[in-house]
Amino acid sequence: MYRATNRIWIIFITVFVIFAFFSAAGAEQDKVLMMATTTSTDNTGLLDCLAPKIKEATGIELRWTATGTGKALKLGENCDVDILMVHAPPAEQKFVADGFGVDRREIMYNDFVIIGPATDEAGIKGTSIKDALTILKAKQAVFASRGDNSGTHKKELSLWKAANLPVPEKESWYVQTGQGMLATINIAAERNGYTMTDRGTYIKYEDNLKGNPALKILVEGDAALLNQYSVIAINPKHCSEAKYDTAKQLIEWITGAEAQQLIKDFTLLGKPLFIPNAKM
Amino acid sequence: MDFIFEGFLQALNLLASGNAETYSAIIATVTVSSYSIGCSLLIGIPFGFCLGYFDFNGKKSIRTVVDTLMALPTVFIGLLVYAFLTHRGPLGNFGLLFTLPGIAIGQTILALPIVIGLSATAVESMDQKLGVTIMSLGANRRQLFFSSLWESRHGILAGAIAAYGRVMTEVGISMMVGGNIKWHTRTITTAIALETNKGQFGMGVALGLVLLAIAFCVNISVSFLRRRY
Amino acid sequence: MVLPIYEIRSLKHSYADQTVLALEHLTVQPASIVGLIGPNGSGKSTLLRLLGLIERPTEGKIFFNGLCVEPFAYEARFQITLLPQEPLLMKRSVFRNVSYGLKLRGNQNNLIDRVNAALSLVGLPSENFARRPWYALSGGEAQRVALAARLALRPKVLLLDEPTAGVDAASAQLIKEASLRARQESGTTLIVASHDWEWLYEVCDEVIHLFKGRKLGTGRETVVFGPWQPREDGDCQKVLPDGQLIIVPKPSHPHACAVIDRVAIARGDKNPEVKAEQVVLSGIISRMALEHASGDVVVTILIANVPFSVCLARHRISSDGFYPGCRIWLSYDRPAVKWI
Repeated sequence: MYRATNRIWIIFITVFVIFAFFSAAGAEQDKVLMMATTTSTDNTGLLDCLAPKIKEATGIELRWTATGTGKALKLGENCDVDILMVHAPPAEQKFVADGFGVDRREIMYNDFVIIGPATDEAGIKGTSIKDALTILKAKQAVFASRGDNSGTHKKELSLWKAANLPVPEKESWYVQTGQGMLATINIAAERNGYTMTDRGTYIKYEDNLKGNPALKILVEGDAALLNQYSVIAINPKHCSEAKYDTAKQLIEWITGAEAQQLIKDFTLLGKPLFIPNAKM
Repeated sequence: MDFIFEGFLQALNLLASGNAETYSAIIATVTVSSYSIGCSLLIGIPFGFCLGYFDFNGKKSIRTVVDTLMALPTVFIGLLVYAFLTHRGPLGNFGLLFTLPGIAIGQTILALPIVIGLSATAVESMDQKLGVTIMSLGANRRQLFFSSLWESRHGILAGAIAAYGRVMTEVGISMMVGGNIKWHTRTITTAIALETNKGQFGMGVALGLVLLAIAFCVNISVSFLRRRY
Repeated sequence: MVLPIYEIRSLKHSYADQTVLALEHLTVQPASIVGLIGPNGSGKSTLLRLLGLIERPTEGKIFFNGLCVEPFAYEARFQITLLPQEPLLMKRSVFRNVSYGLKLRGNQNNLIDRVNAALSLVGLPSENFARRPWYALSGGEAQRVALAARLALRPKVLLLDEPTAGVDAASAQLIKEASLRARQESGTTLIVASHDWEWLYEVCDEVIHLFKGRKLGTGRETVVFGPWQPREDGDCQKVLPDGQLIIVPKPSHPHACAVIDRVAIARGDKNPEVKAEQVVLSGIISRMALEHASGDVVVTILIANVPFSVCLARHRISSDGFYPGCRIWLSYDRPAVKWI
């Protein structure tokens, strides 16, 4: 009976050691690049589409962690990643000015839209973004905000500012969800209210509801609603261990013709999402 | 509602078709939870056993601290471990951030109070006469220790299962320390969070069911062991 | 002179400042059977635990085969085994419970045979019992498995704490027989604490009476509990339900216990002559038991509800015509009363 106990122990330990080997084996690879990015690039599947092409063209194995822009910048500042792909230009410029990042290059943009109930009781359809926000405030229509310091949230705050309106932090009609984009859209729909979203998430939302969404696009196309994505290499002077050369190589590739075409051809549920605009 | 049923079918499909992403997440989850449960049992059982077995000053205070730590929020542990493992943190040089061992460290911290607390309770609720019985049959100190440990195995096992459940299902640490990196540190729970964010509720349900299936297998084998020993 | 297997010197044991056992000196001869008698809380179990090297005495020393020993002592660990009161089985099968001690000794030879032999000694056929889990046993069976686990070790010393308490008569008989067989076959020294006076007097070479942690002289004394009421003559008395008085010298404390030694008994219809300082009481013989070692008879007499015991030579029983149920006179000397 003692022997049976021993055998079970041996099996347990063997399994444990095998697992240990597995994870140790995967740990070391030469051309691995760690990227912090925003949820939108990951959730839309753009990076899943680009990663194999990157490997093919440059030999770089791209690994990314998708978070909010705030945390992505923080990860860069703490030297935990080698490169960033984010969409909050003022914060990015400050990041570079502070010496944390170098070689910031714009690669593409998508746009934000204001969505709301088809009945549009506030009557903002087709107006400029500035007018839309002014009307929403005047009518005290329910407006769902991410409220999570994400790139989208930062964009929204900048729009209030651009419209010369104070951010209605404490108004009862201004709902701060603190959740992801899709959850925020769902909350806006439940409350029969308005919200601002990136187009990619809206396409998904539309698809989830089999092309019959409760909330429709009411305001779009305004220059202020464009959402610029950039890549930034981590400054090797700030982080000695950052793989600057590899990051640089990736930046060259992604701003090159091949990658720009791939971005242009990338569609979500048959609809194009990103417009490449890298300056070559 | 229909995404729940859809998720059920999808779960079967994922497992049957050998979906590489799903299996990568399963392997990551099982690996990291085995690591963390292994470490926390290795550290926690002796510590919990001593906490329950010996009487000393400040024992009650330690119990209170351990019981309080059982309520540690996973996101908080994640943040704490991140602070240590980030390249600018005290342990940054080991390069453990965004790795499975990094997650395992956090999960060990999560499981440890549960293992310690429940082992201590198991040992405390052990019959006082057991020590007399073992000693009267001629055990030395070491044999007394190990036999007492073996006698409290059922209670300790219950603690281990509770800890395993907590470790398998947590998402805060895996997300914060692991970074949800595809093919590497994406566990089932972080994958669920991602799929939910993407609006793929059905996929989220499917992955949840896969997690349940793993937990079911673990519990089946544990109850088989319990019946035999 | 044979080296005593146990020798105790100035032993004192306390739990939380309360002294539960205080023995000046005690020796136990090898291969003897020693009985421990005393009411609950008299220190029997404590003494067995100290002799079994489960606990370390607060003060004093225990010598085993001439060596001073303490818990976990290598010289004694494999020689002494204790069957505690309400023994506990470990959470394993009967076989593994019985073989546990043998495995501790690294003794794997004939393991199965020795376990089976021990089980059959306590009347549990191994083919029916060896594979049973610990929870599938009756109280008496569990007690016998626990005893088998000790007998399998062929110990030099077997300490039994109330081995027959709380088990049915058949189990009790099996337990008694098995313990005695151990002495016959392997010369095991038995030290038994029990409330079963008759059995102890029958089999023991020596019976030690413990009371409040102390050894009471020869063990044939009677102990009478207080409270005591003062009398006009300066002595104290206890009034029995039938109106008789137990008169004693003034105790240090009204709740002290009187130890009455050298009790004489006689038959007769009339009150016997009363000498000065002598107390005479009327009672009934309730029980008579043969003390195996001395060949004397221990007679228990009930005075109202207080049991007195006296030890008589065998011939006096027949010459005086004592029998259980016969009415007798009992007398003792007042100044001879001691206190504890």
